[in-house]
Amino acid sequence: MLFHTWVFLVFFLTFYPVYLLVKGTRLRAPWLLAASYVFYGWWNPVYLLLILWSTTVDYLAVRAMAATRWKKPWLALSIVNNLGLLGFFKYGRFVVDNVNALAERFDLPYALSDPNVCFLSDGLNAVLSSLHLHYHVPDFSYLLPVGISFYVFQSMSYTIDFYRGQVELERSFIRYATFVSLFPQLVAGPIERASHLLPQLQRAPRISREDVADGLSLFVVGLFKKVALADYLAMYVDPVYSAPEEYRSPALLLATFAFAWQIYFDFSGYTDMARGIGRMMGVRLMLNFNNPYLATGLGDFWRRWHISLSTWFRDYVYIPLGGNRHGETRTYVNMVLTMVISGLWHGAMWTFVLWGAIHAAGRVLTRSLEQTAVYRDRVPTIAKQALTFSVVMLAWVFFRAQSTGDAWMILGRIFSSGLADPVFPLLLAGLVMSIWLYQYVYESKFRKVVSAGPVRVALVVGMVVYMAAVVTSGNQEFIYFRF
Amino acid sequence: MATSEQSNTSHSVIQDAPDDRFAANDVRLSPRGWLLAGVLIVLAFWLIPLAWQKIEPLDLEADYRIPYRLGNDYWNYRRTSREVCRGDETVLVGDSVIWGHYVDSHETLSHYLNADLNAGDEHRFVNLGVDGIHPVALAGLIECYGNAISNKRVLLNCNLLWMSSPRHDLTSDKETPFNHPALAPQFTVNIPCYRATLSERLGIVVARHFRFLGWADHVRIAYFGSDDLATWSFEHPYENPLDQVTLSLPSADEPPSPEPDARAWDEKGLRKVNPEWVPLESSLQWRFFRQTVQRLQQRDNRVLVMIGPLNEHMLTEEGLAAYQQRKVAAAAWHKEQGIPCVVAEVLPSRTYADLSHPNAEGYAILAEQMKENRGFRKFLGGD
Repeated sequence: MLFHTWVFLVFFLTFYPVYLLVKGTRLRAPWLLAASYVFYGWWNPVYLLLILWSTTVDYLAVRAMAATRWKKPWLALSIVNNLGLLGFFKYGRFVVDNVNALAERFDLPYALSDPNVCFLSDGLNAVLSSLHLHYHVPDFSYLLPVGISFYVFQSMSYTIDFYRGQVELERSFIRYATFVSLFPQLVAGPIERASHLLPQLQRAPRISREDVADGLSLFVVGLFKKVALADYLAMYVDPVYSAPEEYRSPALLLATFAFAWQIYFDFSGYTDMARGIGRMMGVRLMLNFNNPYLATGLGDFWRRWHISLSTWFRDYVYIPLGGNRHGETRTYVNMVLTMVISGLWHGAMWTFVLWGAIHAAGRVLTRSLEQTAVYRDRVPTIAKQALTFSVVMLAWVFFRAQSTGDAWMILGRIFSSGLADPVFPLLLAGLVMSIWLYQYVYESKFRKVVSAGPVRVALVVGMVVYMAAVVTSGNQEFIYFRF
Repeated sequence: MATSEQSNTSHSVIQDAPDDRFAANDVRLSPRGWLLAGVLIVLAFWLIPLAWQKIEPLDLEADYRIPYRLGNDYWNYRRTSREVCRGDETVLVGDSVIWGHYVDSHETLSHYLNADLNAGDEHRFVNLGVDGIHPVALAGLIECYGNAISNKRVLLNCNLLWMSSPRHDLTSDKETPFNHPALAPQFTVNIPCYRATLSERLGIVVARHFRFLGWADHVRIAYFGSDDLATWSFEHPYENPLDQVTLSLPSADEPPSPEPDARAWDEKGLRKVNPEWVPLESSLQWRFFRQTVQRLQQRDNRVLVMIGPLNEHMLTEEGLAAYQQRKVAAAAWHKEQGIPCVVAEVLPSRTYADLSHPNAEGYAILAEQMKENRGFRKFLGGD
């Protein structure tokens, strides 16, 4: 179920009045959980088994930790279970493909089977046939559960935080399951921490008129970002990146520029909508994006982009690796490792690994520079922003390309294929530039101009009327759903 | 990642706890702000389509018909029907047979009826046919957009062609695209060949009741070649979209695209056919045709149904026999219900361009036949 569809509207209009009635009662968590499972099961009810499994194991692991002094095995169980799920469904084929490619390269007569097929479909079929049951389980090989990377990380953070003593034990399974599957942020974040979200689920929310107004504001802005901007930009990006060999430098550059904005509008639009819905339910979800393209350095960029994920990696990967406590070299190694792993989190492809590696390299190269007085005080902010945006854009080439070969080809063609009319609609360029300008003004001393009441009302009215008048198709999935 | 310099032990991991700030940019309205915005949005949704009708001229010349390009523009249909149904008109309702697929607007049935019967402006025959519409869609069109057709004389064409195969009848189990799906029932009746998603169906139902969306469709269809603004901008990357909105609607004489070959069916090399007729009792199209008749009657219209004139010359013996059976059954049903009905006589073979559409000569003859028909005269006379 997508936020920007009529089905979701019907779902929410059914859910919300009941929620308002039961929010102060013991029925709140069961109602939230039921709604969240309907929301998630809408894609494929089979996915529910996975989320239920992950939830149950983590809940029991924490209960077991609370009951014993030997916490480590239970933490290990939780981590192995969560990473195992992620590894099996998301990375199994990637590993097998790479192992098989290596075997082929060295002329080894071995080839591994797709784990999803051999363990699930084939395995289940073998069991059924041994039981003389004439049912054929369909091929599971393409079953990548929506949002698995998000809810697995969210659930795992609870067990780790409990192990560290940073979060209280949650005794109610229903409430814990609600924390893992809360529908606004279930499939694409923000990845919430138990210490932030669970207490909100434990107490009855007070939903004021301001909460509803704020929620609506967030939702409208997010919806506009998704349907009016991201999906529009996708119309330019998709054909270029599907056949980059047919395009020349200006089109490839513009498609990369467009993708930078597409993914920002798409993902931050989703987050805004999720936070808006949460707000209307009396649940505050964390800020996930903070004008990332106004960042003045890569470190700054990661404090503004997908904040919930970057802080997750900081707290559960970078710091456990040692952070910056063991000297300069170790700090850089930790930084590189964290970023490469975060690249891999996005998808089981070498393009994502390289994307993470580019950010890591950029961060390593610029970290010292950013600390110098000359860079800090003498270089104009806009130049720093332009430089940061250029590196981020370069990295997006790898993120978006369909293969590493395509990515290198795109980069090569950007510098060598000559000029040709990029056929980039002026209307689209105008829309993107006006959003950038808005952000720029908002972060400048002229903020008062764009945040004045009448301007905000005009913006909201303009966005709603524009969407109703101009946007026709609104069923494109969010980019981050595939992670 | 946010591998910022906060990992020293002096900085707690969750020191910078999840950011509860509202958002990066302050497009945030207070409840009062939302109230004001809500009022402005409602006003915009209400006033823009109304104002548009004032500024966009609708030139309802004699022999006006819905321009071909606006066949899917239901907002325009509602507006046109409201504009033309102001006097003592006789409204012709139906598909491309009424609209005149192979002919100009001054060669249609309504044109010849106006000419033959010397109908003045007040008593003229008005062509409200829509090219490509079928009974299932027509029922939706009349129900949702044809409210203005009330207290009128309505000549409704019954084209049995739509029952000539499960595909035409929309009863084929195979998913098949068909004309005007947005006019088909979305939840109340199962159309076997229609497989829209739940979200698409909900969207269609909302659009029917939300006139602003209809107006937006109108602008798209009339000025942007039915494309949405985004698609159009990719085809015209350096043009100003506002320049497209010329406020000049397409002409009623604009031919269908591709332009149809108006030669007689046999001259074009069309062969005799034996359609896979669907029995009337199980036909979806027939069911909706009857529904349309009843809806028009409920709106105090005096309805006369004209069955045919199908090109019987183009049917094989077997096909013809099956058709005759259905024609008789259809006429019998009307008689049973007390609904005036005229079974159009078969026109000369040379006057058909295909299985169901007459050419200009065919319409002239048909109008002549109608003029002579007692039932038709009675219908006009109001006896």
